[in-house]
Amino acid sequence: MQREEKQLDLALDAIITRVNDLKQSISNMIVKLEMEHETLNWPTFLDNFALMSGQLTALTKVLTHDKCPALRNLAVLPIQLSQERDTELLRITEQRVPQFSHDLAPDYLRTKLEPDVEQRMMQLEIKAGNMTFDMAQKQVSAFNKVMNHVWDIVSKAREEWESESGSRTGPQQTTSIGDTHLLVSAVSAGKSLKMPVPQGQPGPQGMMGQGRPGSGPPGGPVGMINPGQQQMGPMGKVPSGIKTNIKAASQIHPYNR
Amino acid sequence: MAQPLSTAIDTAFKSNIVPDQEYLLQGSILDTSVEHLLHRLRGLCDNVDSGPEQFQDHEMCFTIRTTPTPLSLRVRRALDHTDMPWQLRYIGQPEYGDAKRPTIIRSSIDIGCSASVVEFLTELGCRMDFEYLARGYMFRKGRMKITVAKIVKTNPNKSQDSMQLISESYLVELSVLAPRGQDAIAEDMRSFAEQLRPLVNLDKVDYKRLAHGPP
Repeated sequence: MQREEKQLDLALDAIITRVNDLKQSISNMIVKLEMEHETLNWPTFLDNFALMSGQLTALTKVLTHDKCPALRNLAVLPIQLSQERDTELLRITEQRVPQFSHDLAPDYLRTKLEPDVEQRMMQLEIKAGNMTFDMAQKQVSAFNKVMNHVWDIVSKAREEWESESGSRTGPQQTTSIGDTHLLVSAVSAGKSLKMPVPQGQPGPQGMMGQGRPGSGPPGGPVGMINPGQQQMGPMGKVPSGIKTNIKAASQIHPYNR
Repeated sequence: MAQPLSTAIDTAFKSNIVPDQEYLLQGSILDTSVEHLLHRLRGLCDNVDSGPEQFQDHEMCFTIRTTPTPLSLRVRRALDHTDMPWQLRYIGQPEYGDAKRPTIIRSSIDIGCSASVVEFLTELGCRMDFEYLARGYMFRKGRMKITVAKIVKTNPNKSQDSMQLISESYLVELSVLAPRGQDAIAEDMRSFAEQLRPLVNLDKVDYKRLAHGPP
C-alpha cells in the first residue's frame, strides 16, 4: 500500500512540474502578446508554439507512462466546503482561488463537461447515430474526395517548391571565370577579335592578324601613309549593315590614292 | 577669363577636378542567366521606370607604334543612335593595386568627335588593331554605370548576319569615372557588386596575368 502511495506522489510531482512548465510558457506567451505585440515577429511567435507543443507531448508521455498509476481510478473527495477566505489556498493557487466554497468547488473538481456542452455533444451523437449507412458512406466519400484534392494541391506545391529550391541550391552555374577572362581580354587586347590570317595572302590583312604593334615595322622603313593603306582593306570590307562605317571608309579612299 | 585655354586645363588637372580616372569591376554572366541579372539590376538601379536602356556600340581599337609601348586609342560609336557624336577614348594601363584596393583604376580620357576621326587617326599613322560590337543593356545607379553586353566579333568579309559571338556569356562591367583620389566611390562599387553575387562575380581582373595566362 505504502509503495503505491509513494509511486502516486512521484507521479503527481512529475505531472505538476510539467504542468507548471506549460503554464509558465503560456503566461510568457501572453505577456509577449500584450507587451511586445508591436515588435513580435512570426518566427518567435511560432517558436513559442513549438515550445508549448513540446511540453504538451512531454506531459502526455508522463501520463501514459507505465509507472504512472491510473489516475482515472482515483477520486478526489471534497471533505469540507467553507465560505471563509483561505490565505493558504490563495497562496498556492497564485491568488486565483480565495475560498473553497460550494460556488467554486464543482468547477475545479469537474470531471465531466458542462451540462449544456454535454447536451450538444449528445445531440451530435444522436444525429450521427441516426444516419443511414448509405448516407454516411456518401459523406465519407465526399469528404475523402475533398481531402484528396487538397492533398494533391499541397503535394504539387511541395514538389514545385522542392524542385525550385533544389535547382537553386544545386550547383547551377550563372557565371564562368573563363568567360570573364575571355571577354575581358577580348575587349582590352582584342584577343580572338583580330582578323584570322588568310592562307597564302601575305597582305595587309595578314598584318592585321599577326598583330600586335611593336613587333617591328612590316617591311623596313614604312612611311606614315603605308599603315593607312593597310588599314583600308579591312575598313572597306566592314559588314554591309554598318552604313556609316562604309561612308567613312569611302571617304578614306580619295585621300589615300 | 583672360587666361588661355591650355592653362585652364592645366589648372583643372592640377586641382583634380577632371574625371579622368575610371574605377572598374568586371565579370560575366552566362546567356541562360542573363534574365535573372537584368531583373535584379532593374530592381537595384535608378532607371527603374524607364526599363533597361539598350545600346549597340561599335568599337574600334587603333594603335600607333610608340616607344616603349604602343599607344592605343579607341573609337566608339552608337549604331542605334547614328546622330550621336562618335567618341574617341584613351584608356591607360589598369592598376591592379593591392588586395585592399576594391577596384581596378585606369586613366580614361573621353572626347566627342565626328565620324572623320577614323580618317584622322589613319592619317596620323594609327592602324586598326581590332574591332567589335557591344550589344546589351545599360543601367545607372548614382554615379555608377553598369553595362551588360554581348561582345560580337565583326567579320569584314561577310555580311552582318554572320557575326560571331565570341562567348556564351555577357560581359558585365561596373564603372565610375571620377577625378583622381576619390577612392570612396570604389567602396560603394564593391558593396554594389556584393549585391549581385552569386549571380555575377564582379571583380578586379588582373590584366597582367590575363596576358600571360592560358588563352
